Amino acid sequence: MWLLLAMVMNDAGMVMNANSDILPRGCEAISRDYEFQVEAGMDYAADAPGAIFGMSDHELIVEPCSRLTVTFTNRDEVRHQWMVHGLPRYLYPGGMFHIEANGGATMTGTFIVPGDDKTYLLHCDMAQHMEKGMKGQLVVGRGSGDLWSVKGVSDAFERDSYLPADSYRWLGLWALLGIAAGCGAAWFMASRRRRS
Amino acid sequence: MMIRPRSSLVLWLLAIALLLLAWPPQWYPYALRVQLTQWFGASSYRALPESRTPGQLQSEAFCPDENRDWREAQVIDGVSIAAARPCVADNPYTIAASVRGTNNVGHHTLMRSGLTPDAVVKGRDLDGDGDPDEIHIRLEVAELNGSSAESRDPVTQYAIAPGIKPGLWVFAPKLAGMARENFESVWARSDLRLPSPAIRVEQGDRVTVTLENSHYMPHTLHLHGADHGFVTVDGQGNDGVPLTSELPVMPGMARSYELTPRQPGTMYYHCHVQPHVHVMMGLQGLFVIEENRPDNWLQTLNVGAGQVRVPAVAVREQYDQEYDLHYLDLDQQLGERIQQHSDPRLITRSMHREYDITDSSQDYFTLNGRSFPYTFRESLVVAGEDERIKLRVVNGGAKGIALHTHGHKFVVTHADGNGIPSPAQFARDVVWLATSQRAELDLRTGNDGLHAYSPGIWLFHDHQNRGTTNDGIGPGGNISAIVYEQYLDEEGWPRTQGVSLEPYFSEAYYRKEVPVWQSYAPDLFSDPGRDDWLLLRLLVLAVALGLLLGLSIRAVSGRR
Repeated sequence: MWLLLAMVMNDAGMVMNANSDILPRGCEAISRDYEFQVEAGMDYAADAPGAIFGMSDHELIVEPCSRLTVTFTNRDEVRHQWMVHGLPRYLYPGGMFHIEANGGATMTGTFIVPGDDKTYLLHCDMAQHMEKGMKGQLVVGRGSGDLWSVKGVSDAFERDSYLPADSYRWLGLWALLGIAAGCGAAWFMASRRRRS
Repeated sequence: MMIRPRSSLVLWLLAIALLLLAWPPQWYPYALRVQLTQWFGASSYRALPESRTPGQLQSEAFCPDENRDWREAQVIDGVSIAAARPCVADNPYTIAASVRGTNNVGHHTLMRSGLTPDAVVKGRDLDGDGDPDEIHIRLEVAELNGSSAESRDPVTQYAIAPGIKPGLWVFAPKLAGMARENFESVWARSDLRLPSPAIRVEQGDRVTVTLENSHYMPHTLHLHGADHGFVTVDGQGNDGVPLTSELPVMPGMARSYELTPRQPGTMYYHCHVQPHVHVMMGLQGLFVIEENRPDNWLQTLNVGAGQVRVPAVAVREQYDQEYDLHYLDLDQQLGERIQQHSDPRLITRSMHREYDITDSSQDYFTLNGRSFPYTFRESLVVAGEDERIKLRVVNGGAKGIALHTHGHKFVVTHADGNGIPSPAQFARDVVWLATSQRAELDLRTGNDGLHAYSPGIWLFHDHQNRGTTNDGIGPGGNISAIVYEQYLDEEGWPRTQGVSLEPYFSEAYYRKEVPVWQSYAPDLFSDPGRDDWLLLRLLVLAVALGLLLGLSIRAVSGRR
């Protein structure tokens, strides 16, 4: 079972598919070493209306073929995860790199990104944690376009409706006001033209 | 251009003739039809539309292929696990880790159990009788079939029956890793499910249950019926009731509840925050306190309830098998609210202010988190002859259940955890369970004419008949069966002698698209075809009416 191969699990959490020395295909050498300190928890959602959980960084931008050492600190009292998806499967079983930290714990893991420009999904895969704020993106090189619903980066793909509860009345009033304004403007402009 | 009067008259006559011809005879006034019949007799024979040829149903396999080896009797880390005969069984590694404690099993067992190292920690043997008495359980809260800002499909999906995915909240064992099976999958992993796990501890154990609230709403843990102090040793609220004992556990936070239960019995645990919503979303589970016995290594978690594959010593003294049966009804209009919004502020408004439980009705009826036909995969009670089987039942639903067994009369030995004196114990085939009530049933198998009539496949279900449907479509709901071994095939499927169960494994059946007797009487009871002749007539009628209208307008405007 591949789960058992490249994995550390202890009372603080776990790291799956850590890789600090095998180069992805197409990489001649490690281009650069990054060290990221990522924190997670409710505190990092405080500035985002409608979010419950968050991360200190929702977007990381790195060079192709670089090596990332991520130190993930969980400021809550429940589990959180820092997972990257879409990595090459020949190197990362399931295409993922996964750090999981228990409440209050810190876990560190290292992995190497491939050489092509691509934007990877970065999230917490506990039920509803991504949906309630823990979604980010890892941009390698120039990336391949922003993902949806990344805090501070992109809009929600399916946005809730925030119109007032009695929105029919509001919409009707809005439409009447708009139509009246449009008519008024047209009449005004037409009468000016006639005068000139 | 003017129309000449004569051609106009022809058109008028034509339109009126068309109108009369096309007018469906059924639409004539009744008295006129009677009069016409007296003059001309009945209309000529016209066959009713043919029965529609049934389309090919997309049916799932009765028994999924995965993890067949989980069904076998096996020994893992020294824990002897009984066989599970239905085709879907619980993960035996989770069972082994629940018995030994996640702190006491080997790495391999822990990895395959899916649990974290601190999910079920078993400590010292305080009374020196050979089993651990310090038990620390950690529970998380998970949402199934919730919403996402990414797509319109529910996320972390869990089906209670083919195609039926109501929004749910559950207490879950503390699981390591992702909530889904894998990154490509939309499905929740097999141990993240309804119902919340049944918890088992021993009388006199020092139990700590830590609620790690991994959900986005406030929750608590209330130990219904289990002996616990109002406050913990350090003065923290211990009853889980936000009104009286403590503030709720906020998202991302944890709280420990403590108890040293003095009385054994079948109890219950649930969230007590806005309970009319949270309990009905699924935040509830069985809490069983077993009698103290030497060397009593308990299966602390029974994920998904169902068969207890490592029964307690006191249960084994009297019974051959033990099952946990958790009944829960669901209101579709409640569950869907977590699917309609993504923003927790909108969700909480919808659930806690707009939803009105006093106007609610129940649509789905689950036994151990599934409805028929999925109950036949995993919730069968499989029996040999002359067995005594202990059934621990809780009704967590909003409405009572009238639990009925075919072919058997059981004896209720305990109600709400307390033993019923033997003069009051009698054999019966319906027991009423009000909301949150528990009963312990003594089920005897065989053929004595009173407790059991003969080997076979005998249903058991809520006899209030809505409970045997999925949103009004039967068979569904909490139907399961007592199946004697000789009536079970190799895969664990009952050898039925009735109709094919295949239609029930299609989503279309529960979308109300399949005639209920179509599988064996397609000519008699399929949907009839369309009456194309009537449609054509109506089209001609419409043309005639249009013609008349046009002619009228022309006549009026021509006069002007």
